[in-house]
Amino acid sequence: MTVVKLRDVTRVHGQVRALGGVSLEVSAGELVAVMGPSGSGKSTLLNLAGGLDRPTSGAVEIEGRDLAAVRDLAAVRRRSVGYVFQDLNLIPSLTAAENVMLPREFDGVPARRARTEAMVALAEVGAEETAGRFPEELSGGQRQRVAIARALAGERRLLLADEPTGALDTATGDEILRVLRSRCDEAGAAVLLVTHEPRYAAWADRVIYLRDGLIVDAADVRLESAR
Amino acid sequence: MSIRHGLLALLNGGPRYGYQLRTEFEASTGATWPLNIGQVYTTLARLERDGLVTPNGADEQGRALYAITDAGRAELERWFATPVAQSDRPRDELAIKIAMAVAGADVDVGAVIHNQRMATMRALQDLTRAKRAATGVAQSLVVDGLIFKAEAEQRWLDHCEAVARTSKEKNV
Repeated sequence: MTVVKLRDVTRVHGQVRALGGVSLEVSAGELVAVMGPSGSGKSTLLNLAGGLDRPTSGAVEIEGRDLAAVRDLAAVRRRSVGYVFQDLNLIPSLTAAENVMLPREFDGVPARRARTEAMVALAEVGAEETAGRFPEELSGGQRQRVAIARALAGERRLLLADEPTGALDTATGDEILRVLRSRCDEAGAAVLLVTHEPRYAAWADRVIYLRDGLIVDAADVRLESAR
Repeated sequence: MSIRHGLLALLNGGPRYGYQLRTEFEASTGATWPLNIGQVYTTLARLERDGLVTPNGADEQGRALYAITDAGRAELERWFATPVAQSDRPRDELAIKIAMAVAGADVDVGAVIHNQRMATMRALQDLTRAKRAATGVAQSLVVDGLIFKAEAEQRWLDHCEAVARTSKEKNV
């Protein structure tokens, strides 16, 4: 099942072509890594895939819905898409559990149910012990786990991660990839991961290289044993 | 690669027979260095000749056991204390290939680099799969070592591409 589909998508900022005709599909249970030098269009691709930005031409579909036809993009983003960034992830004055609950509460989910969902999501990423603690009391790896839990709480199946291992040491970075991988393998999430580090890209089923806003090649090593 | 020292290290944990050494060697290196039993016995014979191991009777099933000697322990200590030299890197062929591609007038350097990058990424994906399947810290650290090397190669290729590109732009 295709979770997100980009069809010949371009994005032009004034005179600058940030993305020039990219087609890409990510299925449930699939982890796709996007690599490329600075300015190659990685983050633009991620923003378009999650409906944070609209393409100049081409189409983006999330769970079968063409985003061009969607009036309330914010609602689609809240219900279908989770984001994990390198920083600016968690709200400092809320506990880990409250951070995970927040987008669900915005979506009208009653607090009690949102809290239950948050506890489930935290347990799924191995961070249940962080529930009552504030972000500043957590390690970098724990904070990223909480961010992943927040991104996947509820029924969201698409996770967009932009350099989620940015400030972490390699052992902790590997742990984050292990969590993302298990969300794909066990929960059927679709993950689009932007990274400039080959070691993390290697956790993906497919690795896409962007150069000057175009896909130049893809290493596709989907093995039966990977499932 | 030192099978010799690997076997000494295993024997340092107590007497063992040939097949057992092979199994333990492969397990602790995450099966990244497969050994055949012939290599194990040849190496044991040389270690015995050099006085680093000695025959140590047989176990209840009649399998010949070997034990480490004091000289063997001293050699093992020396080995652990000596850093490994940066030589005999398999990347040498790659370095030469890239250098030749950059120097050559009609070679598409970008394509050479890109093909290598894809191949190295596939190797990295295989290693990552092996790491996920690894049981035990020793095994997973051996795989990690290979992952860091493959990663270094990827970074070097990115660097080659960026440098080759700028120098080309300057020359035009």
